[in-house]
Amino acid sequence: MGSKKKSELSFVMNSVSRIFSFFFSYGKKTRKTKVFYFISLFPVFMAVVIKSSQIFSVGPSLTGIQIFSNMIMTFYLQFLILILSLFFGTSVCSEEIENKTLTYLTTRPIPKSAIILGKYAAYSLLAVLMVVIGLVASFFILNFEKLLDFSLYSILLKDMGVLILGVICYMALFTLIGTFLQRSIIVGLIFSFGWENVIQYFPGSTQRFAIVHYLKSLLPSHFSGGKFSILLFQLEPTSAGTAIAVLFLLTGVFLALACFVFSRKEYILED
Amino acid sequence: MTIKEKGYSHWDGEFSQKKLPWWPITRYGIKLTLKKKFFKLVYALALVPSVVFLVGIYLSERLEDFRVMMEGNSQLLKVDPALFKTYLTNDFLLFMIIIILVFTGAGLIADDIKYNSLQLYFSRPLSKQDYLLGKASVLVLFLLFLTLVPGLILFIMKLIFSGGLKFFGDFPLLPLSIIGYSIFMTVFFSFYTLLLSSISKSRRYVIILIVGIYFFSDILFAIFFGIFRSPYSSLFSLKVNLQQLGAAFFGVKAPYDVPWIYSLLILAGICCLSGVVLIRRVKGVEIVK
Amino acid sequence: MTLAVIETQKLSKWYGNVLGLSDVTLKIDSGITGLLGPNGAGKSTFLKLITGQITPKIGSVKVQGEDIRNNYGLFSTIGFCPEQDSFYEDMSGWVFLKQLLQLFHFSLDESETRATKALEFVELLDDKDRNIKSYSRGMRQRLKFAQAIAHDPNIIILDEPLNGLDPLGRRKIIRLVKTFAKEGKTIIVSSHVLPEIESMTKKIILIHQGKIFAQGDIHYIRDLIETHPHIISIKCDNPRLLASKFIHENFVSNIHFGPEGNSLQLETSNRDKFFGLLPSLVVENKIDVLEITSPDDNLQAVFDYLIGK
Repeated sequence: MGSKKKSELSFVMNSVSRIFSFFFSYGKKTRKTKVFYFISLFPVFMAVVIKSSQIFSVGPSLTGIQIFSNMIMTFYLQFLILILSLFFGTSVCSEEIENKTLTYLTTRPIPKSAIILGKYAAYSLLAVLMVVIGLVASFFILNFEKLLDFSLYSILLKDMGVLILGVICYMALFTLIGTFLQRSIIVGLIFSFGWENVIQYFPGSTQRFAIVHYLKSLLPSHFSGGKFSILLFQLEPTSAGTAIAVLFLLTGVFLALACFVFSRKEYILED
Repeated sequence: MTIKEKGYSHWDGEFSQKKLPWWPITRYGIKLTLKKKFFKLVYALALVPSVVFLVGIYLSERLEDFRVMMEGNSQLLKVDPALFKTYLTNDFLLFMIIIILVFTGAGLIADDIKYNSLQLYFSRPLSKQDYLLGKASVLVLFLLFLTLVPGLILFIMKLIFSGGLKFFGDFPLLPLSIIGYSIFMTVFFSFYTLLLSSISKSRRYVIILIVGIYFFSDILFAIFFGIFRSPYSSLFSLKVNLQQLGAAFFGVKAPYDVPWIYSLLILAGICCLSGVVLIRRVKGVEIVK
Repeated sequence: MTLAVIETQKLSKWYGNVLGLSDVTLKIDSGITGLLGPNGAGKSTFLKLITGQITPKIGSVKVQGEDIRNNYGLFSTIGFCPEQDSFYEDMSGWVFLKQLLQLFHFSLDESETRATKALEFVELLDDKDRNIKSYSRGMRQRLKFAQAIAHDPNIIILDEPLNGLDPLGRRKIIRLVKTFAKEGKTIIVSSHVLPEIESMTKKIILIHQGKIFAQGDIHYIRDLIETHPHIISIKCDNPRLLASKFIHENFVSNIHFGPEGNSLQLETSNRDKFFGLLPSLVVENKIDVLEITSPDDNLQAVFDYLIGK
């Protein structure tokens, strides 16, 4: 019995990996992906402009890490990871229904949950790569005179970790929304730019009903205070351990629900 | 081989050109939009600011009665061009306009490209301009009902509540400002939406672009303003450019110390870009290489 | 008793208030079975039910004795060619086939070999590296067929497979389908184009308004329609003489003469008796027969009778 379950599990994992490789190689070539790559490199452009202005002494008297931590991270945390997760997350299911290609996947000898998990993994990796490449490049540009100061790299790694966690959690949520709602993108937009923006300014425990609260709770401690603490405005942080656990738990729950819904729901591909 | 006549005869009449060839496109677009679930709810929500402002105008005429409630806050109910500018440029209304554009405009051209309907349109006696006018009119109608109509109603209700034409005498250009700014905003948002709708056949992607570009421009402004503290950073933001121009139309102080002509150039530039792209993208036959 | 390859029991499906399929109970064995009906008859609904794309409201579907729903293992033996013209447009035909074959857990090498073979079958090898969005309608249809057969399934389900194909393409696909049938595979072909079905198989299922009207051999079905007599058209030099010989027979119900005076059309409720008598009458009366046809002995006529047109 144990070996049967093991072989079933390895079959599912094999299916997931095949779906992953299908959609990773397909997804990285589409025009839309290229547009999002371009958008995700905008912080690099911003970093170049800011650094150039500092070199010519017209820019602000802020350190590179201050600019990176407050400005660049604002762009990523409050915009880019939301947009990327929203588009790619809802694409996991909605894209197949809109393009009527779902039949090609559901008439293959692979579990339906493998389709969701494999495609989620592929698109998450794409989104993470977009985020990481831009983030690392802008970090190096803003801090190029201090690249030998290895203490800065811990900030980069922490920020990268926060953003990667954010991508995988938001992607899981939007994947779930995409499996059962027809207008998943509109609901996702209202959630991202409505709920997530507004609820974090509510006092007390209400902040804990937003994913961004847990992400901000993980931001490096040098953020706190100062006139540039945009991201931490009115934040009542949760402990780091709890925040990470909640984010992973939410990701797991969203994905499990998405697999459940996708396996049971009937999708009519209208002509 | 003889072809037998079966009662068919060639029609010798003249073809009459319909006066508004684009009207069926508009009518159908409006019908489709009204059928969408939740659209009416969202549209009603977008009209909430007009109701709030209407109440404010009413209260301004009944200040004595509400003096106890409004102690120290009477300047909030000062009805002047600034109030109308505030109504037409408030963040909530602009956000709701974006959501309305998502409902009404995302699929306007994208769906036609996806389902190859452009060939069907242009095999009729319909020019490209008629097609684009028909599509734009769907947006224009919904947007004017959110901007121009409530704006004029607020103005008229002020006159009615005040019981005279003194308000009109004090601000004779106000109706023109309302009309002018509403039309400008409507034209801009129509061009903006049609541009994005024409560049992809995926409606989902277009929705992301409509909302994403709007918020992206705002975040860019926030970042550059935070770093450089220059009011010229406001030129990055579509929202702030509209607010700057609104201030110019209503003759009030602009939020940022930047000449309004720059905002006008940027917004007009986007409209021109949109026109160029639309003319190139909207065609009956697509050649795939 | 051998299991039917596909078996349905009281299969019914409706979409809200719209009936898709009603009370369909049938068994399909190996060979080619034609599923025939007009647009909106329920053919695609039936095919989606037997491939597990949708769930029946009532009834069951068994493929090779197993329930199809959420039984992904069965799909290694099923090939489905859907009706919709939809693909991953930014892929080439070659990559499309190869990637889909990998989902059958074939190795990369085997996937590539099978993809090449399938593309060769459908004559798309020269265009394999072009993006699908640049393919013509016929090429897309052939690619769809290729993805259904590339993994060598035992059961092939084809929903309107000849749509958009030119006559040569149609012949090729029909020939391929017949080859697969000879190999013992089970093939279900749906179409609303009657000559297509007739050229492939004699085993048909007639469907209309979600209900099965008839199932079996086309001639057998025709013979069952006793209320609708057979029409036989005879071109000869003396139609009136021939008519006079048949007029008293009780199995001949109607006789019409052709406008040019050299043909007649008889309606008979018993083809066997009619054709038993005809040769002797022709010889005895020295009638010169030029042509004998049975205008309603085809699927169109059978179908028209059954749906009461």
